[in-house]
Amino acid sequence: MNEQDDGFEKKVKAVFDTSVDDLDAATLSKLNRGRHEALEELEHARHQWSRWMPATGVAAAVLVAIVVLQSPSDVDDAFGPTTVTDIEILLGEDSIEMLEDLEFYSWIDAAEMESDVG
Amino acid sequence: MDVSTAVFAVSCTSTPTTGTRALQKKRQLNQFLAEIERRALRIAEIGVRDRDEALDLVQDAMIKLVRNYSERSNDEWTPLFYRILQNGVRDWHRRQAVRNRVMAWVGRKSSDENDYDPVATAPDPIGRTPDEELSNSEAMQGIEIAVRELPRRQREAFMLRMFEGLNVAGTAIAMGCSEGSVKTHYSRAVHSLRDTLDEHRPGDYRPQEGKR
Repeated sequence: MNEQDDGFEKKVKAVFDTSVDDLDAATLSKLNRGRHEALEELEHARHQWSRWMPATGVAAAVLVAIVVLQSPSDVDDAFGPTTVTDIEILLGEDSIEMLEDLEFYSWIDAAEMESDVG
Repeated sequence: MDVSTAVFAVSCTSTPTTGTRALQKKRQLNQFLAEIERRALRIAEIGVRDRDEALDLVQDAMIKLVRNYSERSNDEWTPLFYRILQNGVRDWHRRQAVRNRVMAWVGRKSSDENDYDPVATAPDPIGRTPDEELSNSEAMQGIEIAVRELPRRQREAFMLRMFEGLNVAGTAIAMGCSEGSVKTHYSRAVHSLRDTLDEHRPGDYRPQEGKR
């Protein structure tokens, strides 16, 4: 940006700033009123949130109660034997080795089946 | 006082309550909007050529900022506010275009073009001689006309950088484009305006000593 541009920009800015300073009292009053109405949105939003707070709290409490009070038999059905078996597999060193060589064991299984057939 | 009560008491005094925080936020927003509102109004007014419409657009932008972005950091408010305002001005022009088409179709001419009188909406004189006031009013009128003739993106870049004083990064956020684009739009706008205002240069007007 050269000096000519800079001088031009300063003059334009000065003219604009003067037009801002020259805004009449009625317009400034409208702006002031508009600003305060906009700021009321802050209160409104807060109250809206606080209005929903009890309902949200009750819903969360009900959800927690359902989870906690769920019958133990249901839990066993869903996760019981399978979970125990999985844990045994995961904890046993032999089992882990076996898991690492699953293809080998499936080949043995397939070979045994073939020999039974043959 | 037992330990738990003491801890509660300390925590209550060391951290501001929700009400205090809300009050503080409201005060910050009020200060920010009060600082920005007059320039924003003039920028919107140049965009839509009508003060009442500009007032509505500025208020809408204020409401949207407060409603959606009050929790953002204060540094972000200016570009966000102008992004909302620019979108508002753009939507306003779209609505006007549709309205004008409908009016043309039903055979009635929109009176917006004829109703606007820059001299009538010129600001009241404040502490200047009538010659000075007239000089500035004419200069501003010339600038407004020239700015309106710029392509939309150039106009936005020019008004945000020049009139609002946003930096390149802030203008890029407000316009939703890259900083490189802002520089290009702004540079083209300045050169175009210089050419247009060459004979109507605001150089005749001298801002009053010590006014700003």
